[in-house]
Amino acid sequence: MTATVSASGLHLRYGGTRALDDVSLRLTPGVTGLLGPNGAGKTTLLRVLATAVPADRGSFTVLGHDPGSSRGRQEVRRSLGYLPQSPGFHPDFSAFEFVDYVAILKELTDRTARHREVRRVLEEVDLGDVRGQRIKRLSGGMRQRVALAAALVGDPGFLVLDEPTVGLDPEQRMRFRELIAQAGEGRTVFLSTHQTEDVAMLCHRVLVMARGRILFEGTPAELTARAAGRVWTSTERAPGAKAGWRTGTGSFRNVGDPPAGADLLEPTLEDGYLLTLDDVDAEVATA
Amino acid sequence: MRRSDGGARGALVVAVARTVPWRAVGAGAVVGLLVVGLPRLSGPLAAWLGLPLLRAAALVFALGLTFLLDDPARRLTTPVPTRRWVRSGLRVALVAPVAALWWTAALALVPAPARPPIGAVTLEAAATAVLAVAAAAVAVRCTDEPEPGPSVAAGFLTLGLLAPLLLPTRWNLFVAVGDPNWQAAHVGWAAVLAGAALLGAACTPEPTHSLRARVAPGR
Repeated sequence: MTATVSASGLHLRYGGTRALDDVSLRLTPGVTGLLGPNGAGKTTLLRVLATAVPADRGSFTVLGHDPGSSRGRQEVRRSLGYLPQSPGFHPDFSAFEFVDYVAILKELTDRTARHREVRRVLEEVDLGDVRGQRIKRLSGGMRQRVALAAALVGDPGFLVLDEPTVGLDPEQRMRFRELIAQAGEGRTVFLSTHQTEDVAMLCHRVLVMARGRILFEGTPAELTARAAGRVWTSTERAPGAKAGWRTGTGSFRNVGDPPAGADLLEPTLEDGYLLTLDDVDAEVATA
Repeated sequence: MRRSDGGARGALVVAVARTVPWRAVGAGAVVGLLVVGLPRLSGPLAAWLGLPLLRAAALVFALGLTFLLDDPARRLTTPVPTRRWVRSGLRVALVAPVAALWWTAALALVPAPARPPIGAVTLEAAATAVLAVAAAAVAVRCTDEPEPGPSVAAGFLTLGLLAPLLLPTRWNLFVAVGDPNWQAAHVGWAAVLAGAALLGAACTPEPTHSLRARVAPGR
């Protein structure tokens, strides 16, 4: 499948911290998940791809446009929808006014067409009924949907979502999943999250990142398969497990290198993710 | 859907006008006018008092201007095709006539006998205002903070209060009318105005490699 976003050798350093360390990736249409611990560089990578901050070195293209030049950056921004981690709003704006404001900044300048588009995206995120309400009166989940509507306005080909479900209750998260899945139909969505279930349910590809580097790139099934044969159950906490916890049934679920004859369990994507991070930690410790 | 014409520019101007922190600017303007106007209630204004009152009013108004580039939605609107310098420039352009009217009102509140030379004191007020906006532009350029106004205002107030005390005599900008250094001080004010304008303009474009908006640690 042709890549809509292609990055090569991205480096970015903040003081002594390598926020991005030789990051290369290819994103194709559909939802690609980005997993990683706090401080992994996920937000930085998303901000670089969203042209919010330039990389020190390396290059990337979005839908064939190179943001290295001013003209290219403008073209990338015309194809981009960006939902940052803490979006922030002008609180006195209504949902409609705010999305309309973003639409104007996105150069949707024909008033009638723009208003039609704003109504469309607000309907899409299920806020059609409250579009006249001031943002400060909306719930956290609704505000997050206003921000998603602002990202979706103008029908961008590349959507960058930075932890969009953080702080949402389970019902709101479910609703957001529907919206993201819908957004991923026909466009490229890059979704940073701590929620492995979001990735398992939404993404056709997943990247795992830590210490500014991409540690894994593949399908969610491939990430899950990394934990095959490394998850087991026992009646007591297994001393050699990388992680282990008592489940609701009273038995222990262990992740790591199982002892001979262990009662193996079906791994989850979270197991694969934890083991991927742990393998790298072990490599670093050895080095 | 995308086109560029007068209507489009009008929509942008209206949209940006709604994002200007008018409350902060207005509060600076009102308090500034009170600073100039209230002393008159207690009797005729001493001739020497006009200049310090106008300077204080200019500082208070400038404190309001330190909020001018605050944008709560900054993180969401950073990567949009409408460039930041256009949005910031529009905010400044929208506030400039208000500032001019406000200053005219402030001058009018000072009775003629106490009023210092209008050109010179206007230069001081303009330099103070432009310096405040430049400080806000530096904060926006060098940090990831959507609303740096309160920090910039605190820094600017400290600078405004300490500058008359700390500046060496030969560089003293806060001289009285009739002081032999009055002319030289206003050459200094002109330099401050020009320097602040250049600094503000230099900080308005998008961050580049050398001065980057920093991401909060831990992400």
